[in-house]
Amino acid sequence: MAASADGRLALRVTVNGTLHELTIPGSRLLIDLLRDDLGLTGTKKGCAIGVCGACSVLVDGELMSACLLLALAVQGRSVTTVEGLAAPDGSLSALQAAFIAHGGFQCGICTPGQLVAATALLAHQPDPDEAEVRAWMTGNLCRCTGYLGIVASIRAAVIGEGPAAGAGE
Amino acid sequence: MTQGRAGPAGSGPGGSHIPALDVPEDRVDGVAKVTGAARFAADRAMPGMLWARFLASPMPHAAIRSVDAGRARTMPGVRAVLTGEDARDLYFGRRLLDRPVIAWDRVRFVGDRLAAVAAETPEQAEAALATIAVDLEALEPVLDAEASLAAGAPILHEHPERYAFLDGKRPPTGHPNIQGGFTIEGDAADLEAVFAAAPHVFTHTYRTPRQHHGYLEPHATLVWIDDGDLVHVVTTNKAPFRLRAQMAASLGLAAERIVVETGYIGGDFGGKGYSIDEYACYLLARATGRPVKAVTPYAEEIGQVNVRHAAVMRLRTAVDADGRLLAHSADILLDGGAYASAKPLAHLAVAGAADTLAPYRVPHVRIVARTVYTNTVPAGHMRAPGQVQTNFAGESHLDEIARALGQDPLAFRLRNAARPGEVGATGARFREARGAPLLEVVRREMEWGSSLPAGRGRGVALGLHHVGAGRLPLTLLIHHDGRLEITTGLPEQGGGVHTVIRRVMAAAAVPESIVAVRQVATSGTPPDPGVGGSWATHLASRATAALAAGFLAWLDERLPGALPAAPAGATLRDGRVVDAADGSTLAALDTVLARLVPRDAPVELSTVYEGGHREGEDDDFDFAACAVEVEVDRETGAFAIRDALLVVDAGTIINPVAHRGQAEGGFVFGLGGAVMEGLVLDGGVVTNLSLADARLPTPGDVPPLRLVVLPTDVGPGAFGAKAIGEAVNPSVAPAVANAIADAVGARLRELPLSAEDLLRAMHRA
Repeated sequence: MAASADGRLALRVTVNGTLHELTIPGSRLLIDLLRDDLGLTGTKKGCAIGVCGACSVLVDGELMSACLLLALAVQGRSVTTVEGLAAPDGSLSALQAAFIAHGGFQCGICTPGQLVAATALLAHQPDPDEAEVRAWMTGNLCRCTGYLGIVASIRAAVIGEGPAAGAGE
Repeated sequence: MTQGRAGPAGSGPGGSHIPALDVPEDRVDGVAKVTGAARFAADRAMPGMLWARFLASPMPHAAIRSVDAGRARTMPGVRAVLTGEDARDLYFGRRLLDRPVIAWDRVRFVGDRLAAVAAETPEQAEAALATIAVDLEALEPVLDAEASLAAGAPILHEHPERYAFLDGKRPPTGHPNIQGGFTIEGDAADLEAVFAAAPHVFTHTYRTPRQHHGYLEPHATLVWIDDGDLVHVVTTNKAPFRLRAQMAASLGLAAERIVVETGYIGGDFGGKGYSIDEYACYLLARATGRPVKAVTPYAEEIGQVNVRHAAVMRLRTAVDADGRLLAHSADILLDGGAYASAKPLAHLAVAGAADTLAPYRVPHVRIVARTVYTNTVPAGHMRAPGQVQTNFAGESHLDEIARALGQDPLAFRLRNAARPGEVGATGARFREARGAPLLEVVRREMEWGSSLPAGRGRGVALGLHHVGAGRLPLTLLIHHDGRLEITTGLPEQGGGVHTVIRRVMAAAAVPESIVAVRQVATSGTPPDPGVGGSWATHLASRATAALAAGFLAWLDERLPGALPAAPAGATLRDGRVVDAADGSTLAALDTVLARLVPRDAPVELSTVYEGGHREGEDDDFDFAACAVEVEVDRETGAFAIRDALLVVDAGTIINPVAHRGQAEGGFVFGLGGAVMEGLVLDGGVVTNLSLADARLPTPGDVPPLRLVVLPTDVGPGAFGAKAIGEAVNPSVAPAVANAIADAVGARLRELPLSAEDLLRAMHRA
């Protein structure tokens, strides 16, 4: 990768299906690239040290903490954020609809990360039992729900129960 | 361990039956929050925006000799550096303005600001901080509440008379290291005589630690001054009008010159009523002429913002031979930290500090609560402030008394629980005393009294929380195109208050599909108290009900004009104007509104709900009981919760999904405080500065939980709604401590309950 005169580096990355080509400082974190450079503020910065999971994103389908990744680590790769979970026509994914219907969120600050992590879970294991859901979701803290609403939402999405009003799927 | 969610959500028998409230709510904030579109303060940006960072004192108590920021001012990207000399005599706070915006003469905790930097990037601001040379002269620190009142203790605030006090006059404290407090006395004259004559007197001391709220959204703000010299403040603060008043008082501005705007709040739990960075960001915006943004780094969130008060609680209770409570005294000492700045109430303590035995009938009572200054992180409000401490103490104390008397702890509580028409220990006049029916559910659901295997034990605790009261304005805009828009200053911090508003409109036959709820800045709505204190559902539902009635009356008056052919008794149903006699549709509501409302001039209806509580009248409370079964490993002291039951007193439930979420979330919040959370200080410095070390519960920490809702229609909100958010969490810790005592006979009197402490206690026992 070539550095420009001011030490910035070229980055090509696909985010939610859109290719971006930009130059960034080598120290740029993925979380700041998403939020500040691309304006995708759905991905949240909580603890900023990889504990809380609010910044969870998918990199080539793999669950990662955007606060721990240099932006250059996603060179040539494909990133999915919460903004990329609904269908292009805006209809919600089964998980998004279930989070609304089953109390999967209250304040909403951890919700983007919860949804991204749950999306990764269902891609990895389409029919998880409750213990598997809890184990997988342990990397995403939530202070509001006590997790029961989140686990119930994920289970409901798995069994296709109870879409929320106006939701897709 | 796995489990499903047991027990139905929603109102069930007992609450008012409102068909529109039967269906689960579709949250106003739902789609925005699951798609990433919801905007929080930290998501906001402005062209030309600078980033602020702050230099914190490294010492808990020191005199400032000098702060040299000369080099910082020359660093790349730096646009302003302010030190205490630039902010002399500027203090801030929610009630007492005793915390310096930037310290100039003295620092009183590790976190007091010594300098503020604004730079083009956060990294440049951070780099500049590292070049600031600080010369401090260490002073003897006061590191715990008891030391604060010891003879010869350093006085932390030598000129309290210089501190402004909002809305009234600061009550005298009697000692310079006391921030505030209160005394509750019921028939106190006879108290000592009753103690002297009582057959049994029990005295125990309990301790609880500082705790962080654990919201995942750090405090954030963006401040700019526009061309008209209006000061704009985007903030995480949940009480925008109060922040406006606090900033006006602190900075010497007219309140009307400040516009406060709160977006979605990413977790509150009491912590978002207090703002810190807004003040210095204003000074930086003034100095640079540019917007200034600050987001508190999470380690500073935990160690330097505001925490739950650590408490030392000495309880003494007299009991007769039959196990009736005769007299009770409590000395509640709360560590307020370096400043009282984060506390909003006039007594500068926390209201729940009185609630040691609040749900019970006790004829003679004296409760003294004091908050004191120490050189530690300032303490403020956190979900059920005071109750978490005193409910642990009081419910543990009752259990100890029952066991010492050889009485069943549940029967002992039932014997003493205040019944309808009786007054609680703090003098509260319950509109409906609900302790006993909740305890009866516990008896049934836990199969109380049935035998358990060795190493297992059951515990129960009862608690209550006041349903908040106050005054709330609300405005309805009726648009030509048939949309109804409700504007409010109330922020949505997760409790669901915007959805409450839309649901109450729906219950009045105004369909959700045409109602929008929009939060507006302080410039666009009359002053309101914000959210907090478990008042939001009460006030918002009643104000909305009044607004809905106003709208229906407005419509009724104008229907003959809009629909000349309509029969008398036309009414609104499901968004249509119908013939009341046969239900046939006369017109769609939007057709009618198009005729009544000019295209570009929406009709505005407004209301003010006056829902304050008057002294001497009955008052509203949420009761809750928690019961758990634990299993203890005697070899290690490790314990696990095998079964948990939550029995909650509810009014008519407006948002059934959110109500259940608050109950479940409140349980896990309480569980965290019971068995894992607590800030660890070393020399006044918080040492467990990450969410991993401060140990919030994760999904795997949540035990099987059964929820039983016991509804009533006796609540102050619309249709008899009450509150839930702060009712549940206090009772969890004492229930667990009591279950452990039941299992192994060892008593833990300090939170968090730990295997190490239990092992020590078992060895002592």
